[in-house]
Amino acid sequence: MDREIRLKFDSVTCYGSHSISLIDFSFALKESENLVIFGPEDSGISLICPLIVGSISDFEGTIYYRGRSIKDFDYVELHNYRTRLGYLQSGYGLINNMTVEENILLPLRYHSQLSIEDAMRKVDELIKELKLHHCRNLRPVDLLKYETLNTAYARAIALDPDIILLEHALENQCLINAQVYLQSLRKRIFREGCSVIVVTYEPERYTDFADSFIMIYKGNKVFEGDRGAFLEQRNPYLRQYMEASLCGPMKIQ
Amino acid sequence: MMDKIIHVIIKKINLFFRGIKDFARFIGSIFKSFQSFRYLRFRSIYTIAVNQTRFTGFDALPLIILIALLLGGTIIIQATKNFPKFGIEGFVGNLLVIIIARELGPLVTALIVVSRSGSAIAAEIATQKQRKEIQALEVLGIDTVLYIVFPRIIASIISIFSLIIIFDLVGFFGGYLLAITTVYIPLDIFFQTLMESFTLIDLFGTLIKSLVYGILIPLICCYYGFKPESDFQIPIFVSKAVVRTLVVIFLVNVLVSALFYF
Repeated sequence: MDREIRLKFDSVTCYGSHSISLIDFSFALKESENLVIFGPEDSGISLICPLIVGSISDFEGTIYYRGRSIKDFDYVELHNYRTRLGYLQSGYGLINNMTVEENILLPLRYHSQLSIEDAMRKVDELIKELKLHHCRNLRPVDLLKYETLNTAYARAIALDPDIILLEHALENQCLINAQVYLQSLRKRIFREGCSVIVVTYEPERYTDFADSFIMIYKGNKVFEGDRGAFLEQRNPYLRQYMEASLCGPMKIQ
Repeated sequence: MMDKIIHVIIKKINLFFRGIKDFARFIGSIFKSFQSFRYLRFRSIYTIAVNQTRFTGFDALPLIILIALLLGGTIIIQATKNFPKFGIEGFVGNLLVIIIARELGPLVTALIVVSRSGSAIAAEIATQKQRKEIQALEVLGIDTVLYIVFPRIIASIISIFSLIIIFDLVGFFGGYLLAITTVYIPLDIFFQTLMESFTLIDLFGTLIKSLVYGILIPLICCYYGFKPESDFQIPIFVSKAVVRTLVVIFLVNVLVSALFYF
């Protein structure tokens, strides 16, 4: 049975600040599919998530969500669309005057039809799943890095989104501490049919569950392939990136 | 030299109108955000509105009471000392209503709210923006204008109206108590003239002023809170928020007074 295409970039061209751009960029993400997008810092990967969530509206081409262009969404539809995305943004963006519990409760309180008791039950489940009991009443300033990551992730998935967007989620994180988050992510992908887009500088951290990989360099797609192709590293751009070498087709300034 | 001065003046005028245009755009975004008002769950903004009311209203009470006492006392002492010289000692109540209820009550309350809460609103939003908290709210599908600005306006209207009433009452009665330590004023005469001077127009004027200040103070301070593009701009825009709100408050005070009492 053909799986539904959840998100599609069709020849998207976008110019951001500091001469960072995406040029004629296309991909399609199906239900339960996991895509890792990576590349050097000025490659244009930083534009991917803002384009998907509609923070950047000045671009050419079309981005489709479930067959509908996101440019066609009106003000209310755009807000509703964002509730279908679980976006764990770079830097996590936790609300500093709210506790861990309140941060996770926030989207449920604002969007869901659940009563406060049911919403709290859902928060309890997430806190249990991500092992945040000990810090549920702490504010972000008092949290360790992995606790911040787990809280931001719990908040991103609180509304059971169709697509999870992870932007540099594991950067600066201890891999052992981040295992709770990775386990929860795996569970969500395999059991609940959720699609995931990971934007990262470290694609190798996601090799065990990613279906496909895209590498961008100077706004252009220079590698696209499945896990096998990624691990083989025959592509010269990919090889240079994984070896963190200055010698190769990419000119690093 | 003259050319330079004219050039600077033209530049300043241009900047002023550009600022007005930008503020109008911000107001437009607020009206636009009312499209999603029917989806807004009040439980999500309830805590913000309560916290803001507590900070703007309740926490400002000691300062309001102290200033009302001192101002009321000063005005009554001056009036009871000097009015007899002109043979108008029976007009102390009128003076209190004119100065405290009509002008100083709303104005001083607004000044205190701007300096305490207005600066806090601008600084809080600016810091949240720099920490990407505003962006986080947006990508959670939360209408940031409704979520941030709306509860602050509600809280500000409630707080300013309550604080003006308290300021007036403390100004009248506390001022009287302070004043009798220096001059003797018969209590019955004081209250009689006070009641005779106070009209429905005064109450309505107070209501209008609290409504206008309650909307303008958070609106202007939120506008400047959203402006900084980097950390170092935060104090610049917080300062702009306070100074420009103060100017607007004085302008509005004159306009409303002219509207009601001319």
